[in-house]
Amino acid sequence: MKNFFRKVAFGIGPNEKIPSDPLNWANSQITDKIPEFSWKGKYILSEKEMRKTYWREYRYKEDYVFRKKYKKDPEGFEKARKQLEKDTGKRFWPNNEICIRHTEAVRSNSPVLAKLWFFWANHFTISDTQMMRWFSNGPYQREFIRANMNQNFEKMAVEATLAWPMIMHLDNKDNVGPKSISAKQEWRRTEKRPATINENHARELMELHTISPKAGYTQKDVIELAKIMTGWTLPWTRKADHSHDVKFDSERHEPGKKYVLGNEYKRGKKSIRLVIKDLVNHPSCREFIATKLCRYLITDNPTKEMITPIIKAWEKSDGYLPEVHKAAIKVAFEYNDKYRKFQNPENWWLQMINMSGATYSYPIPERKMDKFVFGYMMSQEHRYSDWLLEDLGCNPYASKQPNGYSDISTDWMSTELIIRRLLYAKKAFHRFNADDQIDNNLHEKIVLKNFDNADEILKILSKSKSNEEKHIILFNLPEVLKA
Amino acid sequence: MKITRRDFLKGSATTLFLAGFNFPVFASTSKKKNLVVIMLRGGMDGLCAVPVIGDKNFEKKRKSILIENTIKLNSDFALHPKLNAFHDCWKENTGTIIHATSIPYTQRSHFEGQNLMESGGRIAYQEKTGWVGRAMKLAKLQGDGLALSLPMPLLLRGVPKNNNYYPADGKLPQKDTLELLKSIYAERSEEELLEMMNYIKKRKKKEMMTGSSGYSSDKRANSNLAKEAAISLANPNGPRVAVFEVNNFDTHAAQGGINGTHTKCLVEMDGIIKNLKTYLKQEYNNTIILTVTEFGRTIKQNGGLGTEHGYGTSIFMAGGLLKKSQVYTDWPGLKKKELFQGRDLNSTIDARSVYASAMSLVFDLDFNLIRDKVFWGENLQNLSDKLFKTS
Repeated sequence: MKNFFRKVAFGIGPNEKIPSDPLNWANSQITDKIPEFSWKGKYILSEKEMRKTYWREYRYKEDYVFRKKYKKDPEGFEKARKQLEKDTGKRFWPNNEICIRHTEAVRSNSPVLAKLWFFWANHFTISDTQMMRWFSNGPYQREFIRANMNQNFEKMAVEATLAWPMIMHLDNKDNVGPKSISAKQEWRRTEKRPATINENHARELMELHTISPKAGYTQKDVIELAKIMTGWTLPWTRKADHSHDVKFDSERHEPGKKYVLGNEYKRGKKSIRLVIKDLVNHPSCREFIATKLCRYLITDNPTKEMITPIIKAWEKSDGYLPEVHKAAIKVAFEYNDKYRKFQNPENWWLQMINMSGATYSYPIPERKMDKFVFGYMMSQEHRYSDWLLEDLGCNPYASKQPNGYSDISTDWMSTELIIRRLLYAKKAFHRFNADDQIDNNLHEKIVLKNFDNADEILKILSKSKSNEEKHIILFNLPEVLKA
Repeated sequence: MKITRRDFLKGSATTLFLAGFNFPVFASTSKKKNLVVIMLRGGMDGLCAVPVIGDKNFEKKRKSILIENTIKLNSDFALHPKLNAFHDCWKENTGTIIHATSIPYTQRSHFEGQNLMESGGRIAYQEKTGWVGRAMKLAKLQGDGLALSLPMPLLLRGVPKNNNYYPADGKLPQKDTLELLKSIYAERSEEELLEMMNYIKKRKKKEMMTGSSGYSSDKRANSNLAKEAAISLANPNGPRVAVFEVNNFDTHAAQGGINGTHTKCLVEMDGIIKNLKTYLKQEYNNTIILTVTEFGRTIKQNGGLGTEHGYGTSIFMAGGLLKKSQVYTDWPGLKKKELFQGRDLNSTIDARSVYASAMSLVFDLDFNLIRDKVFWGENLQNLSDKLFKTS
């Protein structure tokens, strides 16, 4: 039973009581209101502010000012660029964002919500392009994903689709109707920039975000959806680059009716919302999401029996996410003893921090992060978190592809990935202060709170010669790698 | 206790998961041959890498992103001018290009396409093993695969005990700790974890870690990984198969010309070939390096100066086991009616025919056996005598 607290969250910390009613404990965290962030640092900036201030400044100076100024001086360019990184906090931001994110997992009252937030952020991944990893992905996951976890899926899908980072990242800014007003403009001929469809975003909207290939759409459906999406763009100006807000430019919109999966859509701004409405209400969408939720929480191979109650909750509530989440949590509870899910490195790391109570030193505390000074070198601690996740192979802001990170166990199994688990179990031990490191009851406390087979685990740990070794062994035991 | 990989294969601790497998042939009569696969993720544009010469239609459709100053390979094809290492192979008669080829996948999804380029199948996500892994199993080559990436690619799955190398930042725990964990994994029949632990124990000896100071990002650059892989492959007891990944070929926008993003990716691929060749030394003569991608890109540039997902593309091959330098193709033409669905370069050669032929040589397996056991008896052509040294 204790396994459940790791399955849907990050285990039980040393100062927490073991909840007597686990299901109620989990459900009480899934509320109609999304709680404030538990992180109390001074930088929780909006996506818009990050973009208009820091992203814009970096982009403009690198692309237009420095490229011109240091045309014949690559070394000077590189030096100026590095200083610009410091001036704009480029490498600081993801570290600060990880602190916000991980605080929700290990220091908030709603770790279940945090675990589900990570799921959705991965579902609507913004991959590592256009420098969004540094300036935008963190705020995007807060404002467009987490903030919509008390809405229905349709709202989250619409907001994620039309979010600046998504339009930028999946190239919809370049998706222009070949028969649009813009297509006929003279500059396109002189600059050799013909108006064409860019299918990228349309394809991912169906394949990754809503109905999945199982729905059986065709290439024609992709193109038609892309046509509906024409015009949703980011105006460009020299000084601001693409940092302007997303807008619908009717001059770039493809005229005429479009047909996606047999449904007809009239031209215009409203059609995107209408088509998303139809996509999220397609039976394949709820089946796809229910399967993914079960895969994330329960097993690599979800069964029909697991998925069905989640689909039913979706149908009954019109895709209201709190209801969908509660259904998924209930299924996870019911299958708790039968299935163990191999945890991805990020969730594993957070369980280790949470269960051992090293939360005072990880996430890096607010007072330390707030000491960052623009224009100067970052301290070791300021850059700890981003490097940690990069090294674990699971950086939530730096996914290589728009399909995000895998939820399949074997994808997290390799010599190097297991080496990471060994190294970071050791590193986690050294996040303790000296008193904890020499406390010989430390591991007993962790084990008794979090595992039903405590005796068996403690017997294994008794073979270890040091607390450090116990830490490495404990957090690499099969039952701890899985939940 | 010092154990080598070969010793380990004979070790008693392994009997558990050797069940169902025959022991590898230790003293093979034939010399060790290597296969290196470079996966080009995102859809490599075969026509950017190996443009066709003198096709007005092509030039017109790619006005703004056409590569200039290309290297002429023959009367019909040229090479991207930044692919210097491959060009060196070509000049030494060890560089081959297969053009107008693809895996038999036409749906243009990266994720399905990449799954299929690795599994070798026709239905995405159906196969849980890769074509290299299956062929290695057929050749009884376990413990011979090395991935130069953090996760284990699907391509190598299907044979146990593959290793990977992608240096971590830190020092491994003590030997006793590793032994203790290993014994627990053995006791619990955690076979995969046990396999990893055996490699990890060895890793420490080989000092493949980065050490405790500094960041290892440079060591993770593909060019450096290529150097490390080449050294391992050149070792008579080392792995026989290495798999690389190059990302970001998906250039819907700003594909650019000579300094564009597609060029950067191609140069990264070229850097792998360069260091493999340099550090394999003599063993380059016993090696086939080849590329894999999920699809090519549209002939026509789009409004964002990029290209869309297409179909036909090209395969790069290098190594001393190649018959000669050539562009091997059954060119379908680029007129509208000759294009796939009127927009993409067609594929006239199933890429899997090339891969099956290459593996037949490297793994000393009959082509028909590979065709039947690895590729489910699909209609693949034996290209061995056309592409490779067969004696």
